[in-house]
Amino acid sequence: MPPTSSSHRPRKKRKQEPTTSSSNGAVTLDLVSRKEKPAFPLVAFFWPARGTSTSQWVLLPCILMTVGLFRWCTGIWPYSGFHKPPMHGDFEAQRHWMEVTTNLPVTHWYFHDLQWWGLDYPPLTAYHSWVLGRIGALINPEWFALYLSHGLDDMDLKVFMRASVMVSEYFVYIPAAVICVRHMARTHHINSWESSVALTAILMQPATILIDHGHFQYNTVMLGFVLGTLSSILAGRRLWSCVFFVGALGFKQMALFYAPAVAAYLAGACIFPRIDVVRFFSIAIVTLASFALLYLPLLLGTLRDTYRSIPLSADVILPPLLSTLPFELSEKAWYYPYLVQLAQSIHRIFPFARGLFEDKVANIWCGVHSSGLHKLNQYSSTLLSRAALGLTLVSITPPCAIIFLKPKKRLTPLAFAATAWGFFLCSYQVHEKNVLLPLLPMTLLLSSEGGMKPVIRAWVGYANLLGCWTMFPLLARDELRIPYFVLTLLWSYLMGLPPCGLSAYSSTAEGSGLYWTTKTVHLATYAAMLVWHCVEFFVPPPSSKPDLWVVANVCIGAAGFGMCYLWCLWSLMDESGLLVNLGLVESPKAEPEKKKQ
Amino acid sequence: MLQIQHLGYDSWRTIYFQRATVLLSESVLIYALYMYENVSNDARLQLTFYSFVQSSPPSSKKQSHAAAVSILLSPGLLIIDHIHFQYNGFLYGILILSIVLARQESGLLASGVLFAALLCFKHIYLYLAPAYFVYLLRVYCLGPRSIFDIRILNCVRLAAGIGIVAALAFGPFVYYEQIPQLMSRLFPFSRGLCHAYWAPNVWAMYSFTDRVLILFAPYLKLPVDTEAVNSVTRGLVGDTSFAVLPNISPRMTFILTLSAQTPALIKLFLSPTWHTFISTLTLCGYASFLFGWHVHEKAILLVIIPFSLLALKDRRYLGAFRPLAVAGHVSLFPLLFTAMEFPVKVVYTILWLIVMLMVFDRVAPASEKARVFLLDRFSLLYIAVAIPLIAYCSLIHQLVFGAKYEFLPLMFISSYSALGVVGSWVGFLVVFFTS
Repeated sequence: MPPTSSSHRPRKKRKQEPTTSSSNGAVTLDLVSRKEKPAFPLVAFFWPARGTSTSQWVLLPCILMTVGLFRWCTGIWPYSGFHKPPMHGDFEAQRHWMEVTTNLPVTHWYFHDLQWWGLDYPPLTAYHSWVLGRIGALINPEWFALYLSHGLDDMDLKVFMRASVMVSEYFVYIPAAVICVRHMARTHHINSWESSVALTAILMQPATILIDHGHFQYNTVMLGFVLGTLSSILAGRRLWSCVFFVGALGFKQMALFYAPAVAAYLAGACIFPRIDVVRFFSIAIVTLASFALLYLPLLLGTLRDTYRSIPLSADVILPPLLSTLPFELSEKAWYYPYLVQLAQSIHRIFPFARGLFEDKVANIWCGVHSSGLHKLNQYSSTLLSRAALGLTLVSITPPCAIIFLKPKKRLTPLAFAATAWGFFLCSYQVHEKNVLLPLLPMTLLLSSEGGMKPVIRAWVGYANLLGCWTMFPLLARDELRIPYFVLTLLWSYLMGLPPCGLSAYSSTAEGSGLYWTTKTVHLATYAAMLVWHCVEFFVPPPSSKPDLWVVANVCIGAAGFGMCYLWCLWSLMDESGLLVNLGLVESPKAEPEKKKQ
Repeated sequence: MLQIQHLGYDSWRTIYFQRATVLLSESVLIYALYMYENVSNDARLQLTFYSFVQSSPPSSKKQSHAAAVSILLSPGLLIIDHIHFQYNGFLYGILILSIVLARQESGLLASGVLFAALLCFKHIYLYLAPAYFVYLLRVYCLGPRSIFDIRILNCVRLAAGIGIVAALAFGPFVYYEQIPQLMSRLFPFSRGLCHAYWAPNVWAMYSFTDRVLILFAPYLKLPVDTEAVNSVTRGLVGDTSFAVLPNISPRMTFILTLSAQTPALIKLFLSPTWHTFISTLTLCGYASFLFGWHVHEKAILLVIIPFSLLALKDRRYLGAFRPLAVAGHVSLFPLLFTAMEFPVKVVYTILWLIVMLMVFDRVAPASEKARVFLLDRFSLLYIAVAIPLIAYCSLIHQLVFGAKYEFLPLMFISSYSALGVVGSWVGFLVVFFTS
């Protein structure tokens, strides 16, 4: 019934929602009714906000609140090492670092007792722990009392620690993700509505939420810096990307997974299309300066301790790195304490003395070893580490070479993903949680051109769900089964992926483009995962092989991740135009045509 | 687990089980809201059960859909059922089912019987009984043309249906002669006027005024009952007495409640349409919440949920709904007090308010009649005040005063919410009696 007088008309005029053409596949055309419809459930949730009628100022806070709620509710569940003496778990490690950094002089940080969760992360983590420890001690000093607080399981402490993860994430990861998705959208000409959908999909990644807010770690801070690196590259600010990447490395050494790709891109940018010496030197200087800035507080602390002549405890073992220096070192030299600190922190951060793989992790080494194909414990650890190094180099060379030869912005997420997969699969001392690193740039592809179309969505979803699944044994140990199922199934439902939907595989519409081989492999893997869950739940493993289910998990996972690596590499080659150049693929006009669609 | 001696028994398994039962029983609500295929009055309706969404005519489908989603995702239900722990989702599911059944002539009997069953689950719904009584009386028991055309058969059917339900529910207790004990448990008039945390009703404002008057009494030369000065804010469930203002007896609250309900009931009797019926239900809820004896803040759902079904009728209703949505949910905050739950309740409620009020704003049609200017233009200001208030009550107060003056935040929240609830009540009364 139309209003008859103007007095009670709605105050605001309602705009007719313009139909915005979709560029990344979130919207599909219903073949029967010729009407636009959402391609998968997550898009349906955003349907009312389509067009210009909903401002980003409303949409973004709503997204952030929603993802925040899921994060916090995951945090209500137990964390790793909850009520598990004697060593507890990662929660205790992080808490202990707050205890160490707030109570001990700076020079003792990297020397303090390694056995009880000694600090073995780079300095930025130490500073972060110091800040959080100070704030926490204001609330309750007992939480971080030296020695007395070991293994504390106080409920309020849990809330504080969970809140600290949330706050760190909302200060680093979330803004970085928002900005990075914006830059992706600009590079790929995606409209803001679709990039909001992609942002939600990225922020709802179950693996990240489960590890950081369930298991308890601060990965998102490091990942946030990596996103900062990526978005600086996308925005063309190479120097800032160096700063952010040093930040990522300085927070968690695992960011090294990306280092070859970053280095190759920056080197390539200095050489192609023409050699740019100024750029090269400015990158070098900024990187060195950021490293200096990273270590500055540690060194200033050392200066203070030297000035107040606080000695190291008597039983410290000096880092072996010092004896490898090419010159004679005098203990009286003014720079001696600083060198000791630097060497010790590096010694702690890179524990070459540990084994090839720690727990059961779905990479090549663990897969080969535990599946019984070939037992690896017959070889010496030096040989194994050399083999790991060699294989890693082999696996990361192709993506790095491509990004070096074709330093294009839009290739960086794929190059990052391929390199990180190479590291994850082949390198030394990998942890199952490290799967977050390749997953992040891969998931970012959702906000690229065609990112919501079945091809990319299927592969991104496959990698993510497989990644979560390989972490299930870890999460089950932490009593996080229910959050695991809820978050994983929720994400797969939202993205229209098995086991909750088949939209990525069933669509016969143009542009679906999944080869039948891909479909078969993916669906077979999903089926295997489901069967595995049933078997794991109902059948106890044979007593002679208590780890049988975990081994099965590892082997399937390693195979699947291997395919993700190959897909990333293939897409990278495809996108870079290298295949066309080499004559491997015909129809050189394919790319411009695709853009027109 | 079920042994009564095990009070405070809380193993993880028990928690899983209990929480799962809440989730499962909530499927009644989902069923009530969605289930049926509606096509307003064709024959299929007789066969299928109907839900609120399905029973609405096609023109208002979008609105009913929005209202249904808002009820299903209501932070009230989340806070009370899934965190605090109760089975309201299930009970409100029955209530909505019964309301929806009443939409069709053929469903009236079922509606009445279902409501009787609901009363046997939780007697708080007695507050809504007058509206049911009047509506069923007028539409089902009396003829459509004249009130003297009594349909005996229908009366007998309804009486038999309700009688059977009541007999099933109370029969065992009658058999074991437990009725007096049962009644004293169900109707605790021995408890105080206000519940520990002052539900946001007229009595909260009354108590607040009383507290303020204590400060000013010496200047105004009013007599102060010194014994009562320390009682209201102690936070214990007990007798409440006022220092300056006259005390309130249960009888007075009863009379006030009934007299607040009567005008709406008269209007319902005179024009018994389904929309008037829901409006009257809402007004009955309002009256009993605002003036009732020992009202618990959880009872606000009794108002919010029927009102949600109506809020999208047009923009005038929405104007009255807005302050209620804010005040009602904010008033539930003190129910959850642990630090872990705090972000959940606040963020979820704010998210719900933003999304739902925006959606409502977009789908609510313009009204056919001119809107009467009433305080609804202040509602934005009112809503905005909520944010600093929550910040103060949950954070700043603790930082400034520590554990002292614990009653202050509670008092502020309930007075603030009372203002919103009363305001929306007045707004709704105007809309109801002018349309």
